[in-house]
Amino acid sequence: MSASKKASKSVMKTLPKKFMWTGTRAIAEAVKLADVDVIAAYPIRPYTGVMNSLAKMLADGEFTAEIIGADSEHSQFEIAKHASAVGARTFVGSSGVGLAYASEPIIVTALGQLPVVAMAGCRSLDDPGNFGMEWNDVLGFRDHGWLMAWAKDAQEALDMTLVAYKVSENQKVLLPSFVAVDGAAITHISVAVEPPTKDGVARFLPPYKPIHPLDPIYGPVTKAQHIAPSLIGPELRRVIDQAMKNASGVIEEAWETYADIIGREYPAFLEQDHTGDAEIVLVTMGAYAKDAMYAAAKLREQGIKVGVVRIRYFRPFPKKELSKAVAKAKAVGVLDFSYSFGSADDSSVLFNEVRSALYDSVSKPLLMDFMFVGGREPAIEHFERSVKLLKKSIEKGKTEKLVWWPTLRGEDA
Amino acid sequence: MTEPLIAKTVRDVPSIDLYTSGHRTCAGCGAALGYRLLLKAAGLNTVILGPTGCMYVANGHQFLSSPYSVPWYHTQLGAGGAAGVGTAAAFRILMMKGKRQKEDVNVIVYGGDGGTGDMGLSGLSMAMGYDYKRFLYVLYDNESYANTGIQASSMTPWGASTTFTPAGRVKKVGNARMKKNVALIIAAHPGVRYVATATLHPPLDFFNKAKKALEANGPSFIHLLVPCPKGWFTDPKYTLDLSRKALETGLWVSWEYENGEFELSYVPKPRKHVKEYLRMQKRFQHLTEDKIEEIERATAKEWGYWKEMNERKKIILPWAAPP
Amino acid sequence: MENVIPENDQLDWVIIHGRGVLNTGHAGTFARTLATAGVLSGRESYYYMRYDDSPERDNIPMIFYTVIGNPKINITLHEEVEPLGEIFSAIVVMEPTIMVSQTSQRALLFDGAKKDAVLVVNTSLSTEEVTGLVKKRCLAQEWHGKLVTLRARKYDANIAFPLLAALTKAWDRVALEDMLDALDSLGYSNKTDMFRRVYSDVEPIEVHINAQEATMARTRKAEQCIAPVKKITDMKVYRTYQEAAAKASSYAERMKMMPSWQQLPAGLIEFGPLPNKKNVGFTTSFARFLRPTINKKKCSDCKMCSLNCPDGAIDYNRVEVDLNYCKGCGICARTCPSKAIEMMSELLAAEGLSEEEVTTIEDALVEYGY
Repeated sequence: MSASKKASKSVMKTLPKKFMWTGTRAIAEAVKLADVDVIAAYPIRPYTGVMNSLAKMLADGEFTAEIIGADSEHSQFEIAKHASAVGARTFVGSSGVGLAYASEPIIVTALGQLPVVAMAGCRSLDDPGNFGMEWNDVLGFRDHGWLMAWAKDAQEALDMTLVAYKVSENQKVLLPSFVAVDGAAITHISVAVEPPTKDGVARFLPPYKPIHPLDPIYGPVTKAQHIAPSLIGPELRRVIDQAMKNASGVIEEAWETYADIIGREYPAFLEQDHTGDAEIVLVTMGAYAKDAMYAAAKLREQGIKVGVVRIRYFRPFPKKELSKAVAKAKAVGVLDFSYSFGSADDSSVLFNEVRSALYDSVSKPLLMDFMFVGGREPAIEHFERSVKLLKKSIEKGKTEKLVWWPTLRGEDA
Repeated sequence: MTEPLIAKTVRDVPSIDLYTSGHRTCAGCGAALGYRLLLKAAGLNTVILGPTGCMYVANGHQFLSSPYSVPWYHTQLGAGGAAGVGTAAAFRILMMKGKRQKEDVNVIVYGGDGGTGDMGLSGLSMAMGYDYKRFLYVLYDNESYANTGIQASSMTPWGASTTFTPAGRVKKVGNARMKKNVALIIAAHPGVRYVATATLHPPLDFFNKAKKALEANGPSFIHLLVPCPKGWFTDPKYTLDLSRKALETGLWVSWEYENGEFELSYVPKPRKHVKEYLRMQKRFQHLTEDKIEEIERATAKEWGYWKEMNERKKIILPWAAPP
Repeated sequence: MENVIPENDQLDWVIIHGRGVLNTGHAGTFARTLATAGVLSGRESYYYMRYDDSPERDNIPMIFYTVIGNPKINITLHEEVEPLGEIFSAIVVMEPTIMVSQTSQRALLFDGAKKDAVLVVNTSLSTEEVTGLVKKRCLAQEWHGKLVTLRARKYDANIAFPLLAALTKAWDRVALEDMLDALDSLGYSNKTDMFRRVYSDVEPIEVHINAQEATMARTRKAEQCIAPVKKITDMKVYRTYQEAAAKASSYAERMKMMPSWQQLPAGLIEFGPLPNKKNVGFTTSFARFLRPTINKKKCSDCKMCSLNCPDGAIDYNRVEVDLNYCKGCGICARTCPSKAIEMMSELLAAEGLSEEEVTTIEDALVEYGY
């Protein structure tokens, strides 16, 4: 057999198990495999593709679910919340200002402890309109009790969605999950994705059974009555607090089970690349971690000991795991696709969380914030330059300038 | 389709309350009476969604205290329509997939004029296009944002004093917007099966309309005028009198619209002067005689349209020059 | 009862009870004028409607507070002060039937009162009758203070002013001059003469009631509740908490019956009453100052009263009023085709006392809390 024929034969063996899918199409597959019952849709770039895919699947009878085109994102997320209360497994999603429009039900869904799973196609917030990628649209909701996980690619987005259902629906948690994917980079580029089998998912993910469904068959449930804070205010918040605290253990177990049953393995909270002996560690989330790792590899060839930590879960924030991962580092640079105007150093959201998490750490690495905002795509050289700045600060023994905007025209980074 | 059990006498109305005693509503609260009658019409196989408003805060406000004998879930002020759709969607699909036994479950939203007609109009509009067999949205109209202390909504009538439209030395009218007719807007939605307006008089009218709505086999809407002793500044004992007077003066029109056919439920014969209704309420006490006459003129003009609609059995949009 | 917030000892709290909407304007005027007097006398002073009472509702009791510092107020006044400890130096009752039942917080009138509190009541009842009522219905501890009663409406349609004058006479924490200055400063100078007249007319008396004489003290001792401990996993367990809280005879006791966070179910889940039952978690007799009486001889059993009660407080089968829930709105009496229902004074019905001082909608000021 000729070499090319041999090659094409082996490709034929693997290709049917893999498909060229965008991140949105991959997530849609997960929703189908999870036998979701109610889907609420509303179009906004760049997440819309997931709903287009689901609508087509349903039109062709690939699975059964109710899909509703809502009148707005506000209604969209309300539909998901209420369907979940009755006992339906739900899926919803949005991007940018669409998420902002849905603020009210987004917050209420978490505080009402409904295990909705939502996709966030991260996109810059208006004004001005901008299809670029920033994380603020979903990070804006970080305080209310949503689990938040960032995928690095379409494959992980699919896997994360399935795990999200398992974790959210766990009775010790019962908190909704955001699966966040970087707009354009993951949502719109097709890559080879391998979906798990239907059987595999059925074994991994049992059906959704709410404890107290909003259903006359169960009884006169009264959900979310107005309360007097003097009687029960803090107690109700503490229940959410505990659910979030329970989530870490459930997340860890879920990924282990996923590896056992489906066969794909991920470290639960963060991915580490050459952090073992790294002097300098870059911390980031999402698709550009890949670029950071490539930049790190190139710099290692020049003798600079640099590693990368890719945070997978922003909520619950993996303080313990992060502290451990950077324990030996002399400097940590956060590659952050968010802003937080007016925060302590006019820095950014991920940076502020990292700094807060590392405050108690025994080693106190020098910190730097590299803000990639406004949606302009970073290049490898931006990451390389960031490492060089961190190296300089180690040599000087202090950080002279804390916050950098590497992609800003005129920035001297 | 079985004929709904229309109540001919009070004795035909079920005696059990599914919105029970034990809520912090005003004495004489029209909205509370509406809730009671609605749930009597709906029966046990019902889920109710309660947008924020008087019928949320006044019915709770403590802890370990609930007056709902059917499943009930709060929803946001402008989210009534979406909440109903989400609830209905879940029942429909769970039954279709065999995850829940098949049966008719009423999905009802009981929302106020502020939340429904202003903020929630978009969601209500969507809901009226969602073809669930037993879906009913009842708008309880106390003509203000009452729970926040009586502010004007788009359904506050012209000339009413509210805390956002108080009558003062310079602005003498109070609310200068005309009352929006949500029921007519809903009647224009294709797919809506039954649209009606009602008030708390005659005693069985709203109950029967709610029953009809739930048997209409698709999304239905009732706009219910509920006199509000606090917002209208009347003695609590006059709540039903006000409903009657509203009908007799023509300031509230009670009608039904089904299968493209329009019919008035009540025709005042003859229509009384609006002052008989307006002068009962302190929220209009600042209006001078000439302003009252303006309201009378506009009401008379609009009644021409309602009468024509009744004769033709079709909807025409009523119009009168604003006072 | 220990004073939960010791800083309150430095403050002069006045608690004003009225009926929602009927008294909102009066209570607001009272509280504002009193606070102004405090400020004019050089002391930091606040006034507010109890936030949890807002929005106030027709006939439902509501509370206003005026707090005067000595001279400063060092704590933030959370707008939902519950009567734990001994805080109130003066108690003002604008609608007397509140004494027969409970206050807005479903507490006794004297819960949270200092032992030497001053009580001002707008009523036509005599001081003996009021003292008897207090002894029987309003007190679960000793009271060695002052009582002053008057028919405020005789003096002014805005009952705030006569009641302020009565308070000034009976209470030593604010001077007449300061009150008169407050009237001037708020544009009520035309009330000065009437104010002085009331001040001279009213005769506060001393009242001494020992703890043993206070009926509610005995009642409370006898009805102590036991807090449930199980985690709320279903409706049955939830009911045990609901019933325990419903039995509580004081706010402090009700707080103790509340579940801890560990006992709460996830997702803000509670349970409503089963069919044919009522909401035991919240009774509303405290809203009633008129009581419907049904003349069974005239009654034709048409069920219209039962159908039209917004509170479902008339039993359909027996056509009897459930006094736990009737708010006395009067709709039943107006809707009865046989004129078989009459509204009688609740004070008369409950205590045989004839009260002529009745605030009506006509006297009420069109003012709303928010």
